[in-house]
Amino acid sequence: MFDQVLFFFNALLQQTGAANLSWGNLVMIAIGGTMIYLAIAKHYEPLLLIGIGFSCIVANVPGPPDVPGGPPVSALLYVVKEGGLFHYAYEGVAKLIIPPLIFLGVGAMTDFGPMIANPRLVILGAGAHLGIFVALILAKLCGFSINEAGAIGIIGGADGPMAIFVTVKLAPHLLGPISVAAYSYMALMPMIQPPVMKFLTTPEERRIEMAQLRKVSKLEKLVFPAAIAIIVNLFFPPVAPLITMLMLGNLLKEAGVTERLAKTAGGALMNIIIIILTVAIGSTMAADKFLNWDTILIVGLGLLAFLFGTASGVITAKVMNLFMTVKINPLIGSAGIASVPIAARVSHIVANQANPHNHLIFHAMGPNLAGVFGTAISGGIMLALLGVQ
Amino acid sequence: MIPDTVYGAVLLSIIDFFLSFVVIAGIGIVLALFPYLNRLGTIDEKKLRESGH
Repeated sequence: MFDQVLFFFNALLQQTGAANLSWGNLVMIAIGGTMIYLAIAKHYEPLLLIGIGFSCIVANVPGPPDVPGGPPVSALLYVVKEGGLFHYAYEGVAKLIIPPLIFLGVGAMTDFGPMIANPRLVILGAGAHLGIFVALILAKLCGFSINEAGAIGIIGGADGPMAIFVTVKLAPHLLGPISVAAYSYMALMPMIQPPVMKFLTTPEERRIEMAQLRKVSKLEKLVFPAAIAIIVNLFFPPVAPLITMLMLGNLLKEAGVTERLAKTAGGALMNIIIIILTVAIGSTMAADKFLNWDTILIVGLGLLAFLFGTASGVITAKVMNLFMTVKINPLIGSAGIASVPIAARVSHIVANQANPHNHLIFHAMGPNLAGVFGTAISGGIMLALLGVQ
Repeated sequence: MIPDTVYGAVLLSIIDFFLSFVVIAGIGIVLALFPYLNRLGTIDEKKLRESGH
């Protein structure tokens, strides 16, 4: 009788996930928990980290095997499988439907005035992308193929949708770890960037105040999206879908006659896309898929890309200062890495700590927005050179 | 086009980094011309908003 109870109890246990919990799952649950902690307690990009962290935790709570004797499958992975709700969410990412929609929303929420007002600073949008190429060369040295290395390098562009876009084109099998690295580091920029920025600047440089930007007229703001869309479609067709949608969203905002559409693109639609995207990304973080040498290398190279990108942006700004009579605060250089508006906020906060009268946010938004184009241009050139359409 | 070697990766990086600077500088030049647009006239934002949907 007792043996029978024990047998049935054991059989019942095998039907649950508890018997299949591995140390890898525990590590990933801790990582997911840390993401949620940083989002709630430290306010580090909660819109991204809550969804990624939560789905990372759930993806690592194993359920019963899908087939008797097979590997455990978590409840979240059930909905990721074909026919499940988040399967279609992930397909939206993999089939490149979601990245252009994110750009549409970003465009509808963004005022490109700071970039138009100070065109000299757009060069920082290219200067802050050295990290892409450092990571690319190191990835090749680590044994990745050139296409895989290019996809890993683009993490340094600090632009989630662009990282997804380029990765799907170059190395779709790396989409999970690359999107996780890109979005996680973007969210963690307030921790990653300041030490590099402070190391490369003197307290005097951090205290530099910048003159107020000129007012940009409505006509300029209306011409801007059309001009950029023409330039990008003309010269960089591989990345045109993203920038075109960014500019369409911006035109909806600036036109003044499509307020409803701009509000939807930058509001409700964007929120839906963020929920889908973050859960889709977090669901790829199951320990058995995520905890391997390649992923660890990709995550490490992504961090290096962010560090070098931040450093090269600050150094580019310092080099520009050598030729300028009115000096710029070199802290805005790191904002050229993209990741709108996180990197601009970091520049502002670090400058504000050095000089409480310093409000760099609008100045930093110029290079920050230029960084979006810088990443797109780098990605477009990379795809063209690698012969990928 | 680019060989799948470390040399290829370095070559790709140099070309891409250099061209990115050139193109971004080009966009900067286009933006520097934007203030001249204001010579064409001004747009009444209030009127635009009133005619919105």
